[in-house]
Order: sequence, then structure tokens, then C-alpha cells
Amino acid sequence: MSGVADVAERHLPDPAWSVARPFWEGCRAGELRIPRCDRCGRWVWYPAPLCPDCGGEHHVWTATAGRATLFTWVTVRRAFLPGYRAPYVTALVALAEDPRVRLATFLRDIPTRGLRAGMPVELLFETVSEHLTLPAFRCVG
Amino acid sequence: MGLARRIAIVGVGETRYERRATRDLASLRCEASRAALADAGLAAAAVDGLIVPGSGYAELHELARDLGMRGQFHAASCFHSGTAVVAAPLEAALAIEGGLAHTVLCCQGVAWGSERRGNVGQPHAEMRMKAAFEIPFGWYPQVVHFAGMARRHMELYGTTEAQLGAVAVACRRHAALHDNAILATEPLELDGYLASPYLAEPFRSADCCLVNDGAGAFVMTSLERARELRADPVVVLGVGCGVVPDGEYSSLREDYLATAAVHSAPRAFAMAGIEPADVDFVALYDNFTALVIQQLEDMGFCARGEGGPFVEGGRIELGGALPVNPSGGQLAQAFVFSVNHVVETVRQLRGDAGARQVADAEVGVVTGYTGAQHATLVLGRG
Ligand SMILES: [Zn+2]
Repeated sequence: MSGVADVAERHLPDPAWSVARPFWEGCRAGELRIPRCDRCGRWVWYPAPLCPDCGGEHHVWTATAGRATLFTWVTVRRAFLPGYRAPYVTALVALAEDPRVRLATFLRDIPTRGLRAGMPVELLFETVSEHLTLPAFRCVG
Repeated sequence: MGLARRIAIVGVGETRYERRATRDLASLRCEASRAALADAGLAAAAVDGLIVPGSGYAELHELARDLGMRGQFHAASCFHSGTAVVAAPLEAALAIEGGLAHTVLCCQGVAWGSERRGNVGQPHAEMRMKAAFEIPFGWYPQVVHFAGMARRHMELYGTTEAQLGAVAVACRRHAALHDNAILATEPLELDGYLASPYLAEPFRSADCCLVNDGAGAFVMTSLERARELRADPVVVLGVGCGVVPDGEYSSLREDYLATAAVHSAPRAFAMAGIEPADVDFVALYDNFTALVIQQLEDMGFCARGEGGPFVEGGRIELGGALPVNPSGGQLAQAFVFSVNHVVETVRQLRGDAGARQVADAEVGVVTGYTGAQHATLVLGRG
């Protein structure tokens, strides 16, 4: 698994990029916040100027419960990126609030019986630096 | 305006495909283009339309200059990389029917073996949403994106690693019959495939396309003119393009496994007036084995979820019911954004494919793919 010691080499997001800044602010505050259209309630992911359902322009970064299901995953046996030690499991998880919202994530606590699409996963946070905290998910149950 | 059977491919050419060439991309493109023009019996001066997918402004004009084009030309481009190559006959047909050009050259080449030293993920790293929300979480590079789709396909439909391997083995066997295929002398059978280590599970290295140098080209003109140039022009029976409407990020597509072949193939087949059962062989964009299975489903050669069993038992090998990628494709011949698939399909339909010849080949289908984009081209014996 990638460790915090690897961070200097890792590709990390820019927490100051204006489009994504509220996401990283939420992570530092211990919340997974996703933009939500304040006209129709659609979760708008990735962040976009207009709501894909109603065209609404105002999207409110809204806390989610951090519950999701495993959509798909890849066990990477040869590290393709600097700063990671293979093997690691990277995955797409579908949020409980709206499974159309999928997040790419490292997957922690892999059960010995293996992985299955649809398995429940839950949110945790991993602190990288005082400026950056990344969400991750772990297998539960 | 009907575009079926209005134009033909009258010349094809390729460079040697190599892991690393000793020449730069400009000279590879030039060599492939000259070979295609020579095959057509045309001088560069006859070309008045150019499609050079992926080229920048300077590269386009350098190629025109290096070929010796001195007149006016129409430059067409729409889609990207593999899609653009396979959509080129649509662009050419529009230009020729519209009076913008008479003879259109399409050339595609890569020098990733030399230039990128394998770092083929760079364009993805430059996309801001991927840089923010995917790469920091290990969802990168392309092999991970496509391994994720393969895993989902396995979970939903029971597709097996041996079925992925059947695609890799078929391509490798075909490449062994080609004198210009990078993996021609590196045989692969299913037990060897299954014994090889994972790269990004469920993919092994044999599931992934080559990273190499090389270029290919083809020349298109009106069917009438084509018949004056040669006895065996290969006719563009149909061509269609499609896009996935919910965008570039494969991680977020609502129908995660559908390629835009679900749109491009019906359009191309309708234009050609054919059905999948009429197709003698296919040359499918094969960046990874699983995408071949996805396309066979999306194009209607089998139903969704049945692509795994479909590729088993030699069905997709030469001599099988639907030979797939007779040149060895991008998994075993060379990765050049499907231009090798166009060249091979033309040779098959001329009956010039030697030991790889598909018996009685009359209709061949080529595809190109670029993330959310897809093109399907139906070619027929002239
Ligand atoms: Zn809305």
C-alpha cells in the first residue's frame, strides 16, 4: 500500500484549484462534500458549471454520509506512478446518495475472502500534510 | 446525401513497425504516405485533401511539404486518434462529394516507443479532473481504466481470464503469419498467458497493446476514379461515428461498459445495407483485450455479456466463424491507432494477405476508438 512516507513523490491534487477547493476543504474538516444542484437536488459530479438535469448554475457542496458500494477495482501489481509500492488496490465506489456519483479511491482492509462488486465500503480520511487530506474507503462487513 | 459506395481506398502503405525506430515521426509519416501513393499509382501532386490525426499545425504542413504537395489542399479532421483514422473515409466522402477535394490521404503514425519511453498516460495526466480526482487515488494510467472495465464485465457476466487470453492468443497467432508484426516471433498460447504475471489485475502484459514506432497511410478517391486507377479498389460501403453522451471520464459513464460502438456500428451497417452476419472478418481497435470483447457486444456480433464465450474455441481466429484482427492487431503487430487495421483490411479484400488470407473475404469491418468516441468502417471488395 502507498504510505505517507511516499508523499513527496506522489501525484497529489492541488488543493488551491478553485473548482475543487471546497472538496479538499471538506476532507480537512472530516466530510466528503459533493456539489448538489440547489434547484433540483441532482448531485453534480465531477464539478461542472451546469446541472446535467436542469441546467441549474448554483451547486452547493453538501456533506455525504460516506457510505458506498464497490463498483469495480483493479489490483495493481506493478506501480505505474512514482511514490506507490505495488501491490495496491484502486477502485471505483458508488455513493449511497446517488450511485451515479462514483469516486476513484484506494481501497483499504481488503477481506481475505476477496472482493465482489456491490460490497459495502465506508469512508475514512488519510492526512497527507497540513494542507491536504485525502478520502479513502475500506471494506466493511 | 447518400455516401455509401461513393469512394474507395486505392492505396495503402506502412513503415516497418519497430519498438524504437531510428527515424523521427515526420519521416515515418512521410514514408508511409509515399508507400500508399505508390500503391495507388499516384503522385503527391494528385493529393488535395489531408487527414493527419493527432498532428499539430506544423506537422500537417511539414508532411504536405515533404511529400511534395505544392497545390491547394483541404484539411479535414474531427475526431481524435483511432476514431479519426477510421472516420477518415467519412470525412473524405464528404469532401469529395462536396467538391472540396478529389484525392484524400490519411496518415497516422506514432513514435511513442522513442519519444515517451512508455509514458503513454501523459495526455490523461494533463486533464484537470483526472489530475484532481483520479490520479491521486491510483486510478491511472489507461491500463487501470480498462482493467476496471474488464473486472466489472467479469463481475456482471462471468467473463473469465481465459476468455481475455483467447483474444491475446488469437492476435499473437495472426501476427506470427505477418512479416511486419513486432511480436511475430514471440508465440503465445493460453497456458503461457495464464502463467504470466499480472500487471494490473485482471490484465497481464499480453492484454495490453504494444508501445512502438511506425506509421501507416491510405489514399481515398471517388469510386469512378478508383476504377480507372486499379482493377481492385476497396469500396467504402459504410462508415459511422458515435460518441458516448456522458463524456470523457470512463469512471463516470452511466453505462460503464458501453463504447460508442453502440452508435457508430448501426450507422455504418445501415449505410452499407448489411447486418453483422454479413461480415467476413473484423479489425477491432485493440488497446486492451477486453475492449475487443466489449466491441463485439456493442456492435451486435453477440449480446451484452456474451462476448466472453464468443471469443472462445477459435471462433475469432483465422479459419473461425469471425476472424478478429488478422494482422495481429495492436496487441501483436503494432499500435498505430488502427491505421494498421485499415491497411490489413484493404489487403484482405484485395486477396493479398498471403498466409493470413481470410477465405472468400468480401466484407471487412474496421473500428477506431478514443475514450468517448468510436468509428466503424465497412469495406468491401470492389
Ligand atoms: Zn439541477
